[in-house]
Amino acid sequence: MNRNVSRIFAALFGILAIALPLFAGDYPLQVARNIMLYMALAITWDMLLRSGQISFGIAGLFGVGAYAAILGVIRAGMPAWFSIIFAAIFSGVVAFAIGFLILRLRAMYFSIVTLALGEIFRIIIHNLHDFTGGPEGVVMQQGVIFGGSAGKLYWLTLAGLAVAIAASYWFEKSKIHFALTAIRNNEISAKSSGVNIFRWLLLAFVVTSAIQGLLGGIFVQSYGFATPDTVFSADFTLLPLAMALLGGVYSTRGPIFGAILLGLVSEWLKLKIPYGHLVVYGIIIIIVILFMPQGLKQLVRQPANKTDRRSA
Amino acid sequence: MVVKRRTAIIAAMSIAATIALILWKPTVLIYGLQAAGLYAAVAIPMGLVLGIVHIVNLSHGEFMMVAAYAAYSACKALGMDPLLAIIPTAIVTAIFGWVIFQLTIRRALKGPELNQLILTFGLAIAFTQTINLIFTSQTYKIPLDYVSASMDIGDITFGTWSFVFVAVAIVYTYGLQFFLTKTTTGKAALAVGQNPRGAAIVGIDVYRTYGLVFALAMALVGAMGALFLTKSAIFPGVGTPFTMKSFCLIAMAGVGNIPGILGASVLLGVAENFLRAFRPTRDWAEIVFFVLIIVVIVGRSLKGRKS
Amino acid sequence: MKRMMLALAVFALIAGSAYAQGTIKIGGIWTLADITGKQGSAAAQLAVDEINAAGGVLGKKLDLIVVDDEGKADKAAAAVEKLATVDKVDVFMGGMGSGAELGKIPAFKKYGKVVMSTGAAGSVTVEKALGPSPESDFYFHIHPWDYNQGASYAEGWDAIQKQYPNIKIRKIFLAYEEGAFGKSSWDSTKVLFGSDMRYTIDGASFKSALFGGGDYTSVLEAAKAFKPDLFLWAGYDADALPLLEQSKAMKFSPGIYLGAPPGWPIGFGSSKLSRNVMLYGMWSPAMNDNNPASAKFYKNYVAKYKEEPATYFAPLSYSAVYILADGIKAAGTTETAPLIKALEATKYASPLGETITFKPSNIIKHQGITRQKILQWQGGFQEVIWPFEAATAEPVYPFPAWK
Repeated sequence: MNRNVSRIFAALFGILAIALPLFAGDYPLQVARNIMLYMALAITWDMLLRSGQISFGIAGLFGVGAYAAILGVIRAGMPAWFSIIFAAIFSGVVAFAIGFLILRLRAMYFSIVTLALGEIFRIIIHNLHDFTGGPEGVVMQQGVIFGGSAGKLYWLTLAGLAVAIAASYWFEKSKIHFALTAIRNNEISAKSSGVNIFRWLLLAFVVTSAIQGLLGGIFVQSYGFATPDTVFSADFTLLPLAMALLGGVYSTRGPIFGAILLGLVSEWLKLKIPYGHLVVYGIIIIIVILFMPQGLKQLVRQPANKTDRRSA
Repeated sequence: MVVKRRTAIIAAMSIAATIALILWKPTVLIYGLQAAGLYAAVAIPMGLVLGIVHIVNLSHGEFMMVAAYAAYSACKALGMDPLLAIIPTAIVTAIFGWVIFQLTIRRALKGPELNQLILTFGLAIAFTQTINLIFTSQTYKIPLDYVSASMDIGDITFGTWSFVFVAVAIVYTYGLQFFLTKTTTGKAALAVGQNPRGAAIVGIDVYRTYGLVFALAMALVGAMGALFLTKSAIFPGVGTPFTMKSFCLIAMAGVGNIPGILGASVLLGVAENFLRAFRPTRDWAEIVFFVLIIVVIVGRSLKGRKS
Repeated sequence: MKRMMLALAVFALIAGSAYAQGTIKIGGIWTLADITGKQGSAAAQLAVDEINAAGGVLGKKLDLIVVDDEGKADKAAAAVEKLATVDKVDVFMGGMGSGAELGKIPAFKKYGKVVMSTGAAGSVTVEKALGPSPESDFYFHIHPWDYNQGASYAEGWDAIQKQYPNIKIRKIFLAYEEGAFGKSSWDSTKVLFGSDMRYTIDGASFKSALFGGGDYTSVLEAAKAFKPDLFLWAGYDADALPLLEQSKAMKFSPGIYLGAPPGWPIGFGSSKLSRNVMLYGMWSPAMNDNNPASAKFYKNYVAKYKEEPATYFAPLSYSAVYILADGIKAAGTTETAPLIKALEATKYASPLGETITFKPSNIIKHQGITRQKILQWQGGFQEVIWPFEAATAEPVYPFPAWK
């Protein structure tokens, strides 16, 4: 598929996405919102993956952002829209701080530590009952942002997704791409080429964590509540991972495809097989990963773009 | 030698800590060791797979869960005690694990590492939900008398059954050490784990070894499944927390360091129980698990950079 | 290609199935992977079948459409949207966990249709999210709130101690699981028993076996040191037998050993350890002897599904359907405003042993059941001890010491 055709498709897709509330009912909008949230998380996970670092801490930063937003509203009286931005900043700052501690780790040690940090955040919030509401969680008295209007909530989530996509393209099209790819392929030669590994990793980590926090803020504002189990759920780590891998990693398109596939399949299966749809869901993951190891994007990429393959 | 001195310091500190605990809060030591035994016994097979086949098996806990259900069904149908079911369950789980390996995991080994992760994630979902369909989410437990075996020392009364997990963990550790260093198959497996290409050149059938090691690990997991049934109630999600805990313990010990898993488990078990023994710190017992993991892993990386 | 996929999928989702006219549609949302949801939806279907066999409601058949919320807030919200816009249901029912319920509430409020809720005891979040009348008037909460449960138990133990003077309770120890369920039990116990000068309360948290815990040694040590007259644990079915086994190992046998899980493990009754364990609950098969509604429900449920109802969510869902049906009959329509008015006059003699009516609770206007029951495992069965009107046996006291 040549570049221009691909651009036209992307533009049409974008227009369709923005215009969806004008012709779709509330149910498809809700399903689309759910999918877009995971899609955005999958994209952020992929962004860090491009440096070779596998994060298991998405739920941790997402949850931190979620609580920052909801406590910002409840305890500091922030307006809802501002709390979402505050969530992004807060998660970014937290990531900046922990980055110094953990970005020197590699491979599974980095992964485990991100997981452990996520759990630590969850337990801290769980235990500080008086401030955070404890295990039962907190509810915003004023309810959901935009009064629960399905269209506006959809556009809010779409905005979050747009931020993730924009950041991902920035990572792909700027020199960040070369830095991260070099680090991923061979750190030693990257270093000797003058790449400041720590600086690039920190950038990637902070940017992706900030977006994860932003999405956490969007989530709590869309539903009006937060509980430790809901916002720190392992689903926010594992599902985006699965979506990115099934769709094809090291790209923006891959996580998009993966999220659409898994998200739609999961909703559709549930309606067709009310009792037992999750078994089929698990089997689908297994089959897709076995028969399409490069992910769904290899279906679209077959007439391969030679320049892209060299850098992947 | 620096290493010997450091080991001696750690040994001395451990002995001092142990004596202090015995005098002050002996239950912390007792229950800490028992908890450590369970954690280690479940984590060791995962460490074996990770160290030799180099895959993170996200369905590790689910294999144990399936084994536990198999043991439960056998015990209910044949009226036997779970202890008798240990060996049959181990065999059945080994075969089941080998089949799953050949059908799915083996194919993913040639691909990117992350795919193996997601594959095992898919397996975990499939196992959990299938068991849920068959048995529902209600818990099953076989009530047993010997599980309440207890002992009195001074004015404390404590349960002794859980020490069986400590025994199992020790057997697994030293059994595997023996297997990996003294038997031909074991030495071949170790070679494959350290350098698959080199091992293949020397003529070792790498994929066959992977299958065998996975089956062996699943046999250990299966035995634990039957034993687990004696102490705990089983339900479809019972294995999931053990996967992550095992993974954390292995990271703490360092990949390939199976005896290290014992040490890490003891440290964690005792630390957890220590915090639980006092009212103000009770809620924070779980966090110490994760804090210690980070301290050990980050500490080790800093030390590595200095040397 | 991707945009075609999306468009097709969207189209398929929008296109609702063409249902026959002349049915009254009930949208039921449960966590189907869990036993409570599985049996709750089954019991609701049983009630629907019974009512249809008896001629339906207002000459129309009832149609129950079940959607899984997977225990998650976002899926629960999508379930409400689907039922409201695609299936165009007339009323909603279902519910168990607070997290999923919170996801549904904004969507419920948007449509304003009557909701007969069988779940969610967490008042701190769910009741607060619902808000006061009139914005929450569409929501009929049959399941008691956590503070209802606590108050009910305080009343119950009071009555039991008066009726059976050999039972004396001064010190209560609560072992509570560290999640939302345990914490709310601890809070309501502290408030309702602690404010009463007669009782001294202490407690400790533990990680439930349901979430990877299962080590009760520290909690039992603390309990033992406190020497309570009543030991109460708030956890899940996975904790029941291990707690008893570890209590036996530590030789901890308080006068009253009381468990408050939402359900019990299979075969608990046949274990020797279950002897004289007390429990909090809402229903047990023992009530079939005194209560014709319970007997009828039980008989029909077992006949249809070849299994026993394992938790009280089954008779609760069954009752919810009948209450809705009666309300629609009385109102003569499924229009929300007249239906709410008709439901306010509900007096339903339920299998749970009480006549369900709706009264205001702390925040909302339509709260159904507020009273729980205190039961005891005797001879492998759950016998009702209190309220005395529904009692099927007398309490056996004290809890036997371990041999």
